[in-house]
Amino acid sequence: MTFRTTEFRPMQYAGIAGAVALAALLPWLAPNLFYIHLATLGCINLMLVLGLAIIARAGQLSMGHGGFALVGGYVSALLSMRGWSPLLSLFIAGFVAAAIAAALGWIILRLRGVYFVLVAFAFSQIAVLLALDMSSLTGGANGLVGVPPISIFGHALLAKPQFYPFALACALVTLGLTWVLYRSPLGTMMAATAENQRLTESSGIDTHRVQVIAFTIGSGIAGFAGALSTHYLRFISPDSYTFWESVSYLTMLVVGGRDGVLGPVVGVLVLTPLPELLRATEGLQHIIYGAMLVLCLMFVPNGLASLVQTWRSRQRVVRPSAAVVAEEAP
Amino acid sequence: MSMETILVQTVVNGLMVGMIYVLMAIGFTMVFGIMRIVNFAHGEFYMIGAFLFAILYGSNELPFVVSLVLSVAATALLGLLMERIVFRRFRGNELNGMIASVGVALILQNSALLLWGSSSRTVPSVVSGVLSVGGIVFPWSRLVVIIGAIIAVVSLNFLITHTRIGRAMRAVAQDAEIAQVQGIRVDIIFPVAFVLGVSLAAFAGVLMAPVLSVSPFIGLAPTLKAFVIVVIGGLGSVPGAVAGGLLIGLIESFAGTFVSASLSEILQFLVVIGVVLLRPQGLLGRKEREA
Repeated sequence: MTFRTTEFRPMQYAGIAGAVALAALLPWLAPNLFYIHLATLGCINLMLVLGLAIIARAGQLSMGHGGFALVGGYVSALLSMRGWSPLLSLFIAGFVAAAIAAALGWIILRLRGVYFVLVAFAFSQIAVLLALDMSSLTGGANGLVGVPPISIFGHALLAKPQFYPFALACALVTLGLTWVLYRSPLGTMMAATAENQRLTESSGIDTHRVQVIAFTIGSGIAGFAGALSTHYLRFISPDSYTFWESVSYLTMLVVGGRDGVLGPVVGVLVLTPLPELLRATEGLQHIIYGAMLVLCLMFVPNGLASLVQTWRSRQRVVRPSAAVVAEEAP
Repeated sequence: MSMETILVQTVVNGLMVGMIYVLMAIGFTMVFGIMRIVNFAHGEFYMIGAFLFAILYGSNELPFVVSLVLSVAATALLGLLMERIVFRRFRGNELNGMIASVGVALILQNSALLLWGSSSRTVPSVVSGVLSVGGIVFPWSRLVVIIGAIIAVVSLNFLITHTRIGRAMRAVAQDAEIAQVQGIRVDIIFPVAFVLGVSLAAFAGVLMAPVLSVSPFIGLAPTLKAFVIVVIGGLGSVPGAVAGGLLIGLIESFAGTFVSASLSEILQFLVVIGVVLLRPQGLLGRKEREA
């Protein structure tokens, strides 16, 4: 991992503006509702993958990411079914997931290495189990049906084209905040912790705290996104977020790239439509996910987004003014 | 049923499940100790072992020993292949090795799903009847699992502590680089350790196949158990895996019989959190060396 101060160029601003405009105009461009549905799922996935990316930025891997989405989904569903405004319960869901992550992280992140992965994974399994077991509250294996839709100023977001802009806004805000976070002092501390924890610690940074904060933020986003998805599908069950959902977010992150905010976007764009294209062959889709994961780690360990960066730095070599920047690149 | 019988059967069940977990956890912890890879695909080898046994013994009615040897050998071969193609590249890279193992788990589980379908199969018991000691009844089908697992653990322990290759493995687990300097061929030790771990998982699958039913989805639960056990027992510690496995097996059996199955899972999770809080190196583990 190297740190590069990416200077922004007008071309990049234009590119970003174009992509956002394209995403915003999708309801008018899409040939049918299915594409809007896919785009909405993409927005939700992007938030989940960004949450995972923030945790990874601090050098940890959460194999229990789906567990926090599940917690968020149930919290928001239960609150809104008892008359709370879904717009409020979304945030409460995020806070509850974040609070659990903070407590759990404070305990397990004291240990270095893989213990965190193992316990986070175990947590997500416990979350599924509790959802199954507390059937008087959670509806057991049947889940909760008829979760109220999100409503803004009394206007319920029932139809897909109405929900999509809201999901897109949430995803873009998350993306923007992640970008800001990566460029803040905290973001630098996170990256330094991932790069070399002991060295970072010796420069007076409490790396335990940095990792707990990253885990809390990332899991909070997962809780919010899980809640968002629950209000979109208006349904949640213990099967909504199993271990394999956590794996698919991990796949998106690894395939896209773990370094910046571009990676998650690329990963989500590539992998969200895949299950839909391969819907006919249930098992094959997962095999392709698995193969992509393994092949990416072997041949493009920094993700597809890193290919773009490599290409860009090569372009810069041509221009003498940018030669210094290119030299810093690996 | 008298209270006594229930108690004894709960203990027997706990020991049976516990010994299976011990087999899973030892393989898992060995692969981690030697290759530094957290193998999320470990349970898939258990599933494949169980499936092959179900096909050979259950469907084709081959003799028990032949089915057992063939199932474990075929799974071991698959393990060797996976080590060659995938895991070898991620040695020492904990994070990427772990993610790659998740990919392997996805591939293995869903290949089994495509090949053998999602419906679960039952495998006929290897032995029937009961052993009656002083009025207390032990079903042989469960005793066989316990005895088989004990034999595997004891022979593995012998291999690790009394043979050249075992000593080499312990050396590599302590420090691969120094071991190499001493003339140990690390390139051979890695696949040996991986295949041994996979074989233990396959053997556990074979033992459990007649007791539980077999489907492509049975691999995740024992993987989770292996995780829980190695955190409790200490990552990389074989005695810790034995102690942790038996503890978890008994907790599961007692809580399952007298309270509820999900309570036992939650209890196990709390034990994990407790261990991490109070004794982070695990019950029998040594402190992770700061490398």
